This record gives sequence, structure tokens and C-alpha cells, in this order.
Amino acid sequence: MKRTYLEVWGDTVDGRHLLSAIIIGVALATPAYLLAAWLFGASDIEPGLAKSYALLVGLGACVLTGVISARLFPPKRVLTEQTDEPGSREAAMDSIEAEYGPLGDPDELPEAVLREVKELGIYEDLARQHAKHVAKEATR
Amino acid sequence: MELLDSTLWALGMALVAAVVFGLLGLVSGTDETATIAPVTLLVILLGVPPAGVFAFFMAAIASKHITHAIPTTLLGIPGDTMAAPLLQDAQMLRELGVPHIALRKAISGGVVAALISVPLAVLFALVLTPFADAISSVAPWLFLAAAMLIAVLSKGRWAALFALVPFVLLVVGLQGFATTTLDKGLSIAFFLGIATGPLIADLFLAASPAGRTLIGRADQRTFELARDTRTWKGRIPNPFSVLDRKQLGYTATAATISSATFVFSPVAMTVLMGELFGARFKNGYHRLTSRMSIRNGTTESTYIAETLIPLIAIGLPLSPMAAGPANPLFNAPPVYTIDAEAGTSNNLHDMLDPLQFLVFGLLAVIIAVVISYPFAMTQAHRAAKWVMRTVSHEAIIGAFAALIVVICLYEGGIVAILVALTVGLVGGLLNRMFNMHTGVQFMGYYVAVLTVPAITALAG
Repeated sequence: MKRTYLEVWGDTVDGRHLLSAIIIGVALATPAYLLAAWLFGASDIEPGLAKSYALLVGLGACVLTGVISARLFPPKRVLTEQTDEPGSREAAMDSIEAEYGPLGDPDELPEAVLREVKELGIYEDLARQHAKHVAKEATR
Repeated sequence: MELLDSTLWALGMALVAAVVFGLLGLVSGTDETATIAPVTLLVILLGVPPAGVFAFFMAAIASKHITHAIPTTLLGIPGDTMAAPLLQDAQMLRELGVPHIALRKAISGGVVAALISVPLAVLFALVLTPFADAISSVAPWLFLAAAMLIAVLSKGRWAALFALVPFVLLVVGLQGFATTTLDKGLSIAFFLGIATGPLIADLFLAASPAGRTLIGRADQRTFELARDTRTWKGRIPNPFSVLDRKQLGYTATAATISSATFVFSPVAMTVLMGELFGARFKNGYHRLTSRMSIRNGTTESTYIAETLIPLIAIGLPLSPMAAGPANPLFNAPPVYTIDAEAGTSNNLHDMLDPLQFLVFGLLAVIIAVVISYPFAMTQAHRAAKWVMRTVSHEAIIGAFAALIVVICLYEGGIVAILVALTVGLVGGLLNRMFNMHTGVQFMGYYVAVLTVPAITALAG
């Protein structure tokens, strides 16, 4: 059976891995905090301060559980670098324009912004997208 | 001698805060209220002198709101609560394959706004000081008016406005429940619940078969990372050359306006400033990058001004910020105390004068900028690539769930966990179904704790 994913809080996760990660986090950090609170509370440190120290321990435990879960469960995302193959950015631009409106003509940008766009290597894409947009408007 | 002592404390504490919260900013979803408030409380209870406490806090917020842009722009997950309004634009710039330009615009805007909002906030506070008593007496009604305004202006419109009624009643009821079981009210639990509402709602959806059809995906999400282009000249990244003149001008204007309007929810102000001044940019690409700069600038200016103005002028936590992340600066018994009934205080308001607030505030912000800005400018691409390849979303959510539990246990045991869960589920669903965003919900919380008692007093 093909593996399926869930989109939770903006990224794809594996449901079972997510559940395990939450259990690991809560099951490790909770006793860490409670134990620290009990130990510091039993010592002769001032009570307010003892609780703060315990919180520090608890926060440390949270960071640790994050590290453990990161080792156990690999990311469920595909990371591609460089955007040399054409098409992918065009699709992205189409979906952005559908949601947000036209990205605009790069040639109307002030000089500093134009330089920025060229250095980013998206000038041609923006120009092509603008031409496409103009053509679409004309045929409407 | 005393001055030198204070300055050294301020320097040292600002340095610690800049590093710790600069790193914490990298961890997505670390809510400001949940992290900065308890750690500041810790610093106060440890006996650090006033100048050190103040500098610590200022460096913490300035530094975190620079590095929080890294996960927001490069990972697509809000670095913290204030980064949420940046997410949509950041997402689009990332889809374009230029997440690093979103990052640079955001952090440069943050630096510019942070530097100018410290003196501005001190100035506004001095203007306001003569009216401090009058403001304190109408504060509950200010919160009510602000909540209604922010609700109507939100995407939820009238639904968000009317949903305030059940939401406020929910908070009142839960607060009553907490007070009877714990003999004290809660605040961090409510904040955490509201801030993580969307996550909690998603987790409930993931747990139900019907919900899974809604959020189920057949494939992994694909992220495309662009080439790491340096868009600055020379070795030292300079915020003034990253932003063009128009972006610089509107970022500064937004920072000025949002510094003056200190009673509004920072999240709502951030959204509003981005819409208001972003509309001045005609070109689509230019508007996207400008909004990154304006919005992140506003995350700095609202946090700085909303802390400084009530702290200097009034001494009571009379802003969403002062009642939230900055609360320990006003009220951290037994060190700092306020007497709500008599309207008197014994906190930083009484221990530092406006000139000290200005000098130590600027010092702290500059230290935060010097540490976090070059780090974010030069290391973000590498850090983001590393995070994308090694840090799974499951790990982040797991650690964050643990964090919610620990901080709730710290504030009020199991009762606090139940409160955060309840507020989170209801708030998250209100957000998802009716676009009643967390800024509206934060204001709803203040209405519940400030305005409702005032209304009952009137009626009784």
C-alpha cells in the first residue's frame, strides 16, 4: 500500500511518527520537570527560584526530545536545490498569481530592485510570466 | 560606580539574551509569551539588578524577532507567534525559489524598526505620562474597543466579532475554574492555548477519520531552495543596503505608527501595517518583499513600544504585550509587585528613569542586532539546508507539545494543561473555520480578564 501523509501545521508528516514524537516529548519532558521541581523544592533554594530552575531543566528536556525525535524520524519533505530545470517555477508563479494577483513587470522596478532581481536569477522568469499575463489579458 | 555597575549588568545580560533567544528564534513555534516571560521571570527571581533585567528582556525580543524569520522564510513554519503574519508572503517568495531574499528583507526591516522604535517609544511615553491616571481608569474599555475593532478588521469580519462573545465567556469560565481549583488565575496557559490553537486543531483533525480526509496528503511536500546569492557588497551585511529607499521609508513609517498605537495586539498591527503600506507598492514582486520588511519591522516596534510605553508612563501592564511576554517586568512577586486596587507599583517603572530606559534599551537592541543580524545574513542558507535535511516536522511538533506541557505544569499543573488544551481546540477551530485569528483571540483574553470585571462591577 502506498504510504500517505498528513499535513499538520504547514508541513507533511507521517501520522504514526507524529504520534510517537509527541509521546516521546511529553513522556520525557514531564517527568524531567516534575523530578527537577521535586528535587529543587526539597533543597533549601528559595521556592520561587526552585520552580524556575525546574523550568530550565524542563526546557532542556524539550530540546533533548526534539533531538531524539529528529534522529528517529527523518523529514517527510523533498528538498531540491537550484532551479535550473524550467517549468517548476512557472507552475509556482501561476499558482501565486491565482492567489495573490499579478507579479508585475520586472522592467518597471526601480534600479536597485531590478539589480536585486537579476542577481537572484529570477528576472527572466518574471519577464516571461509578465508577458504571459499580458497575452492572457489581451485575449480576454 | 553605580552607573558602571548597571552598565556592566546591562551589557552582560543583553549578551546572554541575544545569544540564547537568537538561537531559540531558529526553533519554529517557540511562542514569545511561553519562552521570554518565564525566562525573564527567572532572571528577576535570581536577583539581577533592574538595568540587567531590562536589557535582558529588550535584547531577547530584538534578537528573537530577527532570527525567527529564518524558519519562517526558509522552512515555511512561523518562528513564533509574531512570525505568523509573515508566513503567507514568505511562502510565496519561497515558492518562487527565493526564500533568502524574504529572509534578508525581513531581518533588515527588523533591525531598522528596532533601532528607531526605542527612542520613539521613550518619547511617546513622556508625552503620555501626564495622562497616565486617566488612561488607567478607562483601560478596560480601551481593551474592549480594540478587541471589537481588530475582530471586524480581521478576515473573519462579523463572524469574528460575534465569536468574541462565546470566546470571552469561555475564557471567563475557564479562569473561574482555574481560580477555584488553584486559588489563582492563569495567563501563560491561555496564551499558549491561543498561540498553538492551529496546531492543536490540526492534531484533533489528524486523530479523527473524518479529519484525516481533510488533511491527508498522497505525497511529501516538495521544497525548492534557490542558489545562495549574496545581494550585498563588501563583507559586512548592512540593513540599509538590503532595503531600497522606498522600503526603508515605509518600514520606518510603519514602525513609528505602530510604536504610537501601543494598546493594539502586535499580531493585528503587524497584519495591518503590511496591508496598509504594502498597498503602496505597485509591482507584485516588489510588494511581496516590501511587506516582509514592513511586517517584520512591526514585530520589533510593537514589542518594543508596547513594553516601553506602559512601563515608563504608567507602571501597570496596560498593553497586550505588557500583559503578556513583558508581564514579569511589571509583576514578579516578591521582587516586582503591583497593587491593582490602589493602582500603585513597585517595579521597573519605579526603579529606572526614562533616560536609563532609553540608554539601556538602545544598548540592548544594538547588542542583539550585532549578534543576530550577521548570523542570520550569512548562515541562514546553510542553517536552513541543515534544518530541512535533518530536522523533521514530527520532531518539532513533539518537542513543542512537550514544551506546552512543561510550561503549563510550571504555571498551574494539570489544570493549566486542560485550560491550554480547551482554549487551543476552540481557538484553533474558530481560526480555521471563521478566520478569527490569534490576535483577535488575545484581545478576547484581555476583554475577559479586564473588561468583564468592569462590566460586572457596573451591573452589580
